Amino acid sequence: MRNTLLSLLALAALAAPLSAQGSELKGKFFFKKTCKTCHVAGKPGKEVTPLTKTQAQWKAYFAADKHNKGKEKLGTGTDLKPEQMKDVMTFLIQHASDSPQPMTCGG
Amino acid sequence: MGTIRMDRRLFLKTAGATAGAVAATQVGCFKYFKKGRSTAADTKEIPTTCELCPNKCSAIAVVEGGFIRKLNPNPENPKSRDMLCARGNAAVMQVYDPDRIKQPMIRVGARGEGKWKPVSWDEAFDYTAKKLAEIKEKYGPEGTLWASTEGFQEKFFMNLGQAFGSPNIVRHPTLCLASVNLAYGTTFGTVPSFDMLNSKYVIMSGANRFESIITPDTMDLIGSVMERKAKLVYLDPRFTVTAAKADEWYPIKPGSDLAFILAMLNVIIAEKRYHKDFVDTYTLGFDQLAEHVKQYTPEWAEKETEIPAKDIIRIAREFADAGTRALYYSGRRSSWYQNDFQMRRAQAILNTIVGNWDQMGGMVPNASLPKGEFLFMPWDDPKASRVDEVKTNFPLAAASDGAYLKLRENVLSGKPYPVKGWMVYKQDPMNALPDQSKTMKMIEQMDFIGVIDLQMSDMAWYADVVLPESAYLERTDPVEVMPGIWPAVVYRQQVVKPIHDTKPNLEIVQGIAKRLGLSDYFDYTIDQWVEAEFKDLPIPMAAEHMKKHGVWAATGEAHYGKTLTPDHRFVTKSGKIEIYSERLQENGYDPLPVYTQIAQPPADRFRLILGRVGYFTHANQSNNVWLHEFMPENDLWINPVPAARLGIKHGDFVNVSSSVGTARIKARVTEEIRPDCVFMLHGFGKKSKMQSLVYNVGASDAVILETAWDKVSGNAAFHETFVKVSNA
Repeated sequence: MRNTLLSLLALAALAAPLSAQGSELKGKFFFKKTCKTCHVAGKPGKEVTPLTKTQAQWKAYFAADKHNKGKEKLGTGTDLKPEQMKDVMTFLIQHASDSPQPMTCGG
Repeated sequence: MGTIRMDRRLFLKTAGATAGAVAATQVGCFKYFKKGRSTAADTKEIPTTCELCPNKCSAIAVVEGGFIRKLNPNPENPKSRDMLCARGNAAVMQVYDPDRIKQPMIRVGARGEGKWKPVSWDEAFDYTAKKLAEIKEKYGPEGTLWASTEGFQEKFFMNLGQAFGSPNIVRHPTLCLASVNLAYGTTFGTVPSFDMLNSKYVIMSGANRFESIITPDTMDLIGSVMERKAKLVYLDPRFTVTAAKADEWYPIKPGSDLAFILAMLNVIIAEKRYHKDFVDTYTLGFDQLAEHVKQYTPEWAEKETEIPAKDIIRIAREFADAGTRALYYSGRRSSWYQNDFQMRRAQAILNTIVGNWDQMGGMVPNASLPKGEFLFMPWDDPKASRVDEVKTNFPLAAASDGAYLKLRENVLSGKPYPVKGWMVYKQDPMNALPDQSKTMKMIEQMDFIGVIDLQMSDMAWYADVVLPESAYLERTDPVEVMPGIWPAVVYRQQVVKPIHDTKPNLEIVQGIAKRLGLSDYFDYTIDQWVEAEFKDLPIPMAAEHMKKHGVWAATGEAHYGKTLTPDHRFVTKSGKIEIYSERLQENGYDPLPVYTQIAQPPADRFRLILGRVGYFTHANQSNNVWLHEFMPENDLWINPVPAARLGIKHGDFVNVSSSVGTARIKARVTEEIRPDCVFMLHGFGKKSKMQSLVYNVGASDAVILETAWDKVSGNAAFHETFVKVSNA
């Protein structure tokens, strides 16, 4: 139930207009603090950085609201709040592999 | 200047160490620098990481009786190739420099008058925080500017500016290498390294790599050229040491390097000497390029560059024949002309079509190594946009670095909003920016200036408060990954305790933050920060290893070809190497490099060009006691033909005048420069009396350089100034 609620909140956040972007800076922090616990080289989640996808792919990924190859809702097992998820999304899209300012997590 | 307190015992210790060190060099440098490790009982050897320039070479400090006797190179770092240059060795004198700022000081006279009151750290922090808070109250946090130069502790300074709420963090790249970074980034999605160790054919445009040291490129180039493994073709209006060691030197007409490269592209494509398989598989826009460069014939380029067409054709053929082991070297300080971005783009494209990407002896995307990170909840985004309006003026540039010269223009105009506070870390804008009179005007309109530095730079001289940082040999810094063909993780640890009342930058930042109510963002020690970084190093006993060795380099082996799979996605808009760039076109720039002639000096003037030597990189190094011995004063290189016409003899004092200023300097009449150019070295003619060796000695290039920048990256264009030269 908790995860479902989180996912719904995340979707609601994503439905907001582009002008209501999250914070790249905070998104980078939440991504590292939460997502990078699994998504690093050598761990089952494999390495994920903003460069893993294009901007369109990240948008589609968040719109689909799926995680772990579609097995669960986005945000499952995390304590990310909707606005924090929006921050993460903003960070990933703004620095995607085809973005004007591509970025790995290191910098 | 005002009285500066100094404890007698400390003075004697410092003076003794300084005198001893100077005497040692005077008696015989050979003995002093002799290799080999001391066996004295009280001798410690502590590995650390050099900070005298951006290379970050690994060093081993030999400490005897609490004093640094010397520094040795650390052979474990593959990037520094068991080398420590003159600057690196002279870091000893950064610690024992009698001119160092020895305690915090607050200005009591007029700015630049040199009257200071020594104060406690509490007083200095209180004063700084009070002034910053006043500006914030009146103008908002965006009324402050935070300027810094790269270094391991720079992040703490930038974090303070951001936590304070200012969007105006400005770093050094637009005074250095922003154009080359943006050009290669636009083409490949990353800025590669150049495998000089294994290259067979190297062309350099003005990158004086034998004197302007970059590791490992300089050492690898020396090895390659001196052992005749590689051919070096060198283009430079000046006969540098690199020119002397090159196989071919062409004193190219300044600003025409792009014409040379475009003509090479013309020849290689017309003669079908390019790497067709690579181009077909990995690139976008080759057909447009082929059509575009038809106009740029070698005969046309001869008129632009003054390099014979037959030589351009031959060099193009030789370059293509060397194929994947041919390199057109990118250079580093690419702040030359207003077309720099497109010139670097053309280099990148030329490298691309011979297929040297990710190949031994070619351009290699940087490998990296993992390390941990000290995570903390960051601050809110700034409410105001940047004062330099970088997203509007340079939409593709790295916004977080800022555009320094445009920033200065906007601050001077007060638009889009006033900036009245200027915090500076480890940078000397008085000498790093062109047109010193404009920087002075910017200083004059500030309500407050605070400078964190080791020494009383010209910028510090005009500050309201100076906050002395401990030298790198006196402090521990964050761990740094050095990406490259041979990546390494380096650690800078404290070698000796601070000999004066100085602090590491982190502690200075924390002192100010505490008084601004921002302590939550800086609630850690350097040891906690470093421990978090050690945590993810994939080596057992990482902390112990780094403290013992100072560096970790994995296998130290190069790996080529990781990106050479057909499904590899380059970090560009298209996912391919972008010869033709839609993103450039969308932003109003030429999608392929287009040549436009730059203005040439009229008959009565010269183009002023800049460069570096092996013992100075930054303006702050000319006052180092040991380095100063190599060059006590700078001079103006001028060709004998115009010198005779102007009645100037070798050693005469001359006035060098541009539209923004005049400098008085000695003439060096030499055939080692084109008749239409003059050259001077950076870092002299200081205004700070606490730079005693170079105060009013020689001339500062910043006085006469005019303001100009590259249109795409915002990088300063330092070679666009014309000067008159006359006997003084």
